Formats: sequence, C-alpha cells, structure tokens
Amino acid sequence: MDFNKESQVSCSWYAQIENCLLQLLWHLIHVTIDLWYFPLGIADVLESYLISWGLLGRYKSFNVTKLRYLAIVVDSEEVFQTSKIIKLLQWLEAVGIKHVCLYDNEGVLKKSKNFILEKLDGTILFWDAHENDVLSDRQHMTLEFVSFSDGKEAVVKAANVLFMKYSKSGATDQNQKDEIFTESQMSNTLKTVGSGGPKPDLLLVYGPARCHLGFPAWRIPYTEIVHMGPLKSMNYGSLVKAIYKFTMVQPNYGK
Amino acid sequence: MMISLRFAIPTPNTLIPTKTKPKPGLVDQSGLNQTALLSSLPKRCESYKLQAANGRGASVVELPEGLSRELMPKHVAVIMDGNGRWARQKGLPASAGHEAGVKSLREMVELCGEWGIQVLTVFAFSTENWIRPKMEVDFLLSLFERALKSEMESFLRFGIRISVIGDSSKLPTSLQKLINQVEETTKNNTRLQLIVAVSYSGKYDVVQACRSIAKRAKDGRIQLADIDESLIEQELETSCTEYPYPDLLIRTSGELRVSNFLLWQLAYTELFFAQEPWPDFGKEGFVKALSSYQQRQRRYGGRHS
Repeated sequence: MDFNKESQVSCSWYAQIENCLLQLLWHLIHVTIDLWYFPLGIADVLESYLISWGLLGRYKSFNVTKLRYLAIVVDSEEVFQTSKIIKLLQWLEAVGIKHVCLYDNEGVLKKSKNFILEKLDGTILFWDAHENDVLSDRQHMTLEFVSFSDGKEAVVKAANVLFMKYSKSGATDQNQKDEIFTESQMSNTLKTVGSGGPKPDLLLVYGPARCHLGFPAWRIPYTEIVHMGPLKSMNYGSLVKAIYKFTMVQPNYGK
Repeated sequence: MMISLRFAIPTPNTLIPTKTKPKPGLVDQSGLNQTALLSSLPKRCESYKLQAANGRGASVVELPEGLSRELMPKHVAVIMDGNGRWARQKGLPASAGHEAGVKSLREMVELCGEWGIQVLTVFAFSTENWIRPKMEVDFLLSLFERALKSEMESFLRFGIRISVIGDSSKLPTSLQKLINQVEETTKNNTRLQLIVAVSYSGKYDVVQACRSIAKRAKDGRIQLADIDESLIEQELETSCTEYPYPDLLIRTSGELRVSNFLLWQLAYTELFFAQEPWPDFGKEGFVKALSSYQQRQRRYGGRHS
C-alpha cells in the first residue's frame, strides 16, 4: 500500500512538472508566432511608403484593365471627410481606374455628389455615360453613388414588381411561378427599379469594421473585398498595393 | 478552388469521449482525444469539465488567452476553402484533402460548442459547384451522405442540432431522406446548431424566399402591401435559426470573396480572410479570427439587421 501511495505521489509530481513544461512550451510558441508577425507588420507599412514614393518598380506601372469596376465603401463616421474622399478618387484616377462606385450606408455621398464631381475634372456620373451597365472605356472617370436604399430596399422593390407580375398573370402552377421568380428576372427588375449597376471586381472598405455595411449584396457575389482601415489613415501605397494584388488574382468561380 | 464537401469518409469520431483512464494529477475530465500535441496543449494545461451533450448547463471550458466569453459571436459562418489546394501541395489525392478538411470541421464544431458559439454555418457545396464533373459531384454527395450517417450518434451525444439549407431538389433522393431524418432527430438539441449549406447560394436564397412569399400572397395569407424586408428575411433559409445573421464570416485559403454565400445576411458581418487552407486552419486560426472580431470596433451604421 505504501509503495502504491509513493508511486502515486511521484506520478503526481511528474504530471505537474509535465504540465508546467507544456505550458512553457505553449507560451514560447505564442511568443515566437507574435515575433514572426510583428516584423511582417512593419514590413507591410514600410512597403506602403516605398510604393507611395515610387521606389518599388512593380507597383509603378501595372495593367489595371482587369479592374473594370471598383467600389469604395466608406463608414458612416468618416463619410463627411469629403476632402479625403476627393483625394482618394484623384489617386484612383491617377492609377488609371475608369469606373468607381461610392457607397455609404446613409447616402451622405449621394447628397454630396455634385460637390465631389465639381472637384474632379471631367468626371461624370456613371448613368450619364451609360444606358446600361455595360462598361465602356472612357478618357475620364465615371462615378456611381449608392447607399443602403439600393441594397435590401431595392430587392424588396424588385420583389414587389415580380409579385405584381405574378399576381396579374393569373398564374396558378409551380412552373409559372418558377419562371417569374428567377435570379435573372430579379437582376433585370433591379435595373428597372433603378438599382442595377455593374458588379464591382474589387471593393475597398474604409472604416473601422471589416464589413461591407450593406453594399447592394446582389452586385457583389464574386467581388474581392479588401479592408483598408480608417479613411483618416488612408495612403497611396496601400491603395496601389490592394489594386496590384487584385490584378494578380485568378479566381475559380466554383470549379 | 471553390469549397467542396467537407464530410468525407467516416473516420474515428473524435467527438466521442475516449474512455481513457485519467492520469493522477491531471485535471482533465473531458476525455477528448488528445493525440494532436499542439491542439491538446491548452486542454491539458487548463482544468475544465465538458458538460453533457444534451445542452444542459454551460460548459466551463477556459478560453484561450485574450478571448472573452461575453464578446463571443453568436453565429459564425465559414467558407471552408482550400482542401484541394492543401492536398496538391502535399502531393496527395483530393480525397485526402477532404478527409483533412473533415478533421478541421470536427475541431471547429467542438470549439464552437465549448466556447459558447450558438450557430455555426458552413458552406459545403455551392450551386456553382454543380458544374464540376459529374463523377466528382456524385462522389462528394455520397461522402456527405455517409458522413451524416456516421456522425448521427455524436450529434445526439453532444447536443448538436443539424440544419441543411440549399436547393435539396437537386440532391439524390436517399440524401434528401437522410437530411430530413437527421434534422428531425436532432431538432431538440440546443448546444450548437450546425447549419450545412448544400447546393446553396445567396441569390438562390433570396429568390426562393420571394417564391414562398408569392405563394402565401396567392393563398391570401398575406397582402402584397405587407411585403417588406422583414418578410423576406422570415422566408430566407437561414430563418431556421434564432440567429440568422452571422457575426463573423471566415474564409480560408487566401481568397477575399464571399462567393455568393449568405448575400442578404452579411451586411454587417465581420469578414475574416485567412491565408491558410482549411485543413490547416485549426484552433490557432480560429482564435486569431475570434480575437480579430472581438478587438475590432463594431459598427452597424445605425441599422441592426
């Protein structure tokens, strides 16, 4: 019995030592990983500044034609920084972006659109330049302004149009219902209610939260989404890097 | 590569507690399989007790450092991308990638249950995946069917409620029946709701919601004037849960898209894009995603959807 007791005590001691060693090892791993990511973060910031100063060759001139339509989401708290937004748009024009969609939840940018357009030479509204959402090459940039009302509210409006169509058709069988309520019918009806628009290839989110804040979801099923941080901290280097990275992506679309 | 099915060939179920004799001095009462050293370290270092799987009482598992139980997301959604890529990188067949993906999913389900996450939605098979070769599609769906059968016992034991969303009309009849059976059998479980999106897309969800509403309007149960956002939300397939809007969406494998997943529901969802492929995501990756979620300032733009 004494032997069993002694052996249990020894096992307990060994187990506690083992526990401590494992705990130390765990914390060591955590510290190692943190030390790995810290310089990566510094390198990221440094790279952004080098890009801004034009010192990194591959970012100086690259093909942006792949980026046909760019969306910018601005958080509600930063949307009144109009000068920042104008600067951002000037950078985009300098990079060669032809079509930009500006979104904020409350529609503040929509209300400021005339002011913004005045500050950007030659820039016009997207829908003044296009009858449909087929993109055309232009010398100057086009701008589209959207808000939350172009998202879910627009889908509800479009759904109501389809419901009226269904109701008036006197349709009674499943096939007719299936023909009216389809993805393509929804897409077409969204255009009819004024909330069509091209699907952005890339969506940049400026704000504290990494979410798209209600951007019309029907338009972004395959859009690359990049969180850029607060608008007040925006910099040219990060913008160029995000666009460059997009041009290097090869999506599979489910295959 | 788009996500593919995550339930693979049945493997030893790590959710069932192993009946190992506890070592003296080691206060680990979970009985969970702890063969993986790194993933088991925190469990062996912390004392905890895993409550019964019928959901009674809260598990008192200690959270990793830096995470707060009060700030845990209620609903986490995952696009489990990268199984194929993972397998190719290791020179293995795609089926090995799917098996590894299953292990990763099991770990995540366990962690969600332990850490108080109420709903986990995983994107298993997209409407776009139907364009893959028929042989591959048939293989994936049969794996899903076998996995559902083999995991039934652990779902019941651990209080996991299973819901499957998506266009089931395209699925084999046997799978449809099995899904109904699993959903019915687990409907009273409350510990964690695992929603598996199969043959699903965000656009499909909105359109089917509209069809349902149209039928109700035709039957005179609602008026056209009643149709608004909340009515559409009630008819979305995610209405099968108390928390239909994910707080956090994780996509692995470095892709930065939502790929037509939960389009309506993601307006204010925190998006976390992880570089590693799904089989490598694991606890470390999940902790990083949750930390990011908890730290970042949450804004809803004045509208709570």
